[in-house]
Amino acid sequence: MSTDPTVKDFEAAIAELESIVKKLEEGDLPLETSLQLYERGVQLSRFCHSRLEEAERRIEVLNERGQLTSSENLKLESEK
Amino acid sequence: MSSLFDLPFEEPRPEPAAAPPAARRVLTVSDLNARIRLLLEEQFIEVWVEGELSNSKVWNTGHMYFTLKDATAQIRGVMFRSALRALRFKPQDGLRVIARGRVSVYDQKGEYQLVCEHLEPEGLGALQLAFEQLKQRLQAAGLFDPRRKRPLPALPRKIGVVTSLDGAAVRDIIQVLRRRHPNAHIVIRPTRVQGDGAALDIARALAAIGRVPGVDVVIVGRGGGSIEDLWAFNEEVVARAIAGCPVPTISAVGHETDVTIADFVADLRAPTPSAAAEMVVARKDDFCAHIDRLAHRVQAAAMARLHRSESRLRALEARSGTLRGQVAARQRNYQSLWRALERFDLRRRLGRVRTRLVAADGRLTGASDRSRHRADGRLRATAARLDALSPLAVLGRGYAVCWNADRTAVVRDAARVADGDRVRVTLARGELDCHVIDRSHD
Repeated sequence: MSTDPTVKDFEAAIAELESIVKKLEEGDLPLETSLQLYERGVQLSRFCHSRLEEAERRIEVLNERGQLTSSENLKLESEK
Repeated sequence: MSSLFDLPFEEPRPEPAAAPPAARRVLTVSDLNARIRLLLEEQFIEVWVEGELSNSKVWNTGHMYFTLKDATAQIRGVMFRSALRALRFKPQDGLRVIARGRVSVYDQKGEYQLVCEHLEPEGLGALQLAFEQLKQRLQAAGLFDPRRKRPLPALPRKIGVVTSLDGAAVRDIIQVLRRRHPNAHIVIRPTRVQGDGAALDIARALAAIGRVPGVDVVIVGRGGGSIEDLWAFNEEVVARAIAGCPVPTISAVGHETDVTIADFVADLRAPTPSAAAEMVVARKDDFCAHIDRLAHRVQAAAMARLHRSESRLRALEARSGTLRGQVAARQRNYQSLWRALERFDLRRRLGRVRTRLVAADGRLTGASDRSRHRADGRLRATAARLDALSPLAVLGRGYAVCWNADRTAVVRDAARVADGDRVRVTLARGELDCHVIDRSHD
């Protein structure tokens, strides 16, 4: 079990969560380990949910010189 | 060739049978070829000729030399680099073509040839052929290999979009993303999507957007149009850029029925730009549900584990409680038993009685034999009775005392125990812990 308290990658978090479920469901683990896995599982699922919602609502345009400029009103322009 | 020389070079002059040698006009080979060239070039400024390409070869100079032939004749040809570059398909031997060009003479060799300005394949349209050729080439290069296809990220961090800002595609993509994933972070790299240089522009845009930190999926495409409008997406440079894009790429060119080379190379082909946007965020809802299910299972499994531990703990507690009680009870039993045994140990009392009896015996020495005999008999009977009363004495003779399991009562009746009951049997020395296997009643 990874004890890394931080999770960087959404997919890695899901994979770890899946493996925790598997371990918990099939393994006759010591209680202490089970509770640790449970805590980790809760942490991971919270992380995943936060990742699902956290993306920045933003539209940027990358210009020829490689510069990013925010352009939220692009949508409005193009809808006219 | 003979027909060539049938053509007059200059105004035919009536030549006298015996012309004076001074009147002979002697041409150099160069002059002759130059004259021939002039003649041919004037005559065949623009011709269309159909035939089969063979012996085609592109030289280092970039010019292509070839032979155009039909069943009975052939002509050598050249296509200069600039004209060759303008072709969208690659001329290949065996291809039936219609060539447009002029006839010229290669002075150094005295050969006339077709200087080809343009080639188009017969039958198939040039674009169609170009498409098929590039498709074959890229397929052979392994660019369409399913193993190259990368899965889309479960949840895109930033969604790259390579398209024109003026088209419908960018609007459709933004609308879908806003609806399905309101927090989506979109990075758009504007590019021309049709006309000269569009392909190179798209390729550059793909390379640039692939380097933007956080962009982990790219949609490249445009709205519908004619095959010429969509052509940039059939160019090799775009195909290579898609293959080289460091993140998974979705092609979304035109309408559902439009298939481009970009579609074959992309990690995923979307029928339309809107559909591409749907694909990018399609898994978000799946993941929400999946994570909820996983979290629920973690909780359930952990709870089950906790309950198991709890009930085991309870069982252990109950058992240890019973054991403690049993030990205490047993200790009490032993103590009372020993007290009882001591109380009932009549040997000492017997000894005292004996001493007294012996003393009495001594005092009775003088008594009559009969009375003495009687006394003796009484003494013996008494001693025997006393002896018999001592359980230890009985045990010493090989008898045993059978107790119930708790050693709280002596088992006197086989009917009071059941098969399988535990009984304890006290011997003269030591004790047995026994199970009742069978019983018989008197």
